[in-house]
Amino acid sequence: MSLDWHGAWMSVIHHPLFGIAITLGAYQLVLAGYEKTRWVFLQPVLISMLVVIGVLVSCGLSYVEYRKSTEILSILLGPATVALAVPLYLNLRRIRQLFWPVLTTLVVGGVLATGLCVALGWMLGANHMILMTMAPKSVTSPIAMLVAEQIGGVAALAAVFVLITGVIGGIFGPGLLTLARVNSPEARGMALGLTAHAVGTSAALQESEECGAFAALAMSLMGVATALFLPLAVSLVA
Amino acid sequence: MLLRGLTWLVLFQLIGTALNHLFLSILPGPIIGLVLLMIYLMTRGEVSEPISLAASSLLRYLPLLLVPPAVGVMVYADQIAEDFWAIVGSLVISLMVSLTFAGWLMQKLIDRQASRREPS
Repeated sequence: MSLDWHGAWMSVIHHPLFGIAITLGAYQLVLAGYEKTRWVFLQPVLISMLVVIGVLVSCGLSYVEYRKSTEILSILLGPATVALAVPLYLNLRRIRQLFWPVLTTLVVGGVLATGLCVALGWMLGANHMILMTMAPKSVTSPIAMLVAEQIGGVAALAAVFVLITGVIGGIFGPGLLTLARVNSPEARGMALGLTAHAVGTSAALQESEECGAFAALAMSLMGVATALFLPLAVSLVA
Repeated sequence: MLLRGLTWLVLFQLIGTALNHLFLSILPGPIIGLVLLMIYLMTRGEVSEPISLAASSLLRYLPLLLVPPAVGVMVYADQIAEDFWAIVGSLVISLMVSLTFAGWLMQKLIDRQASRREPS
């Protein structure tokens, strides 16, 4: 009797749990690798993403199918965002003490992060659609997607730019901050959350709870500020 | 315990989604939910055990939750390749400059505030 190996393989890779399996597997593999080597390039999100893409491509699976099977993970992203209120609340006293530094950094840093990116993109010859899609790259992807759409960019591509930004921030951010002699957890968290949103915040949470709280604060403030003022700024310029 | 906390978080997100649909189409539901939970915690004056447990469990796995949306990059490989240097150049440089600058500025402002408070 010949066994139907091909059929079995097909039913495994098209099973709704396959996407979850490779995501969980890749993530734990990367975490284990990071624990062993402490190598900064083993940024969990980036490397897991590369591993998952590799598996999908070699199995001939589409992103649409993968996305559908990992829907439960994406759905949990909502409550996880809500959960950021807890570290924020626990550090509320410290945040109140630093009200003016936080506000100043938000305005100056936020304008710099957005303005510099658009200016550089324009100088390097990116077209209008790409520029408008890159403008909201420092905020969390649901906001960035909404804002990009409003100002004439592409929502799905905005999510990609947000992600690239976040991943680079997660890899190089802590090192850059140390080089610039930024030692206080408040300032490190603020910088990471302001420019690298959720990925920066998860890097900040690994440093300390206080650092994570300021990152969550910066991420939500930057998100709200971008949602409110970026469309306004674009309509004034155009 | 964990389930009860999770239910609260989901509830806040759903209220946020409703408000997003009704009044604030510019802010996504989870962010409105975050603000609402923050207000709730401030009026209660403490974080209850279930919410604290659910929040810390979810936040521990935040990087894992970000993997599926990240994989979406593969769909846009062509568009990114077209403007590759403009995109990567401006994203990387602006991020590195603004991140370092924001950290530096915040550190300076914190130090200044601290030295001002000490003499008084």
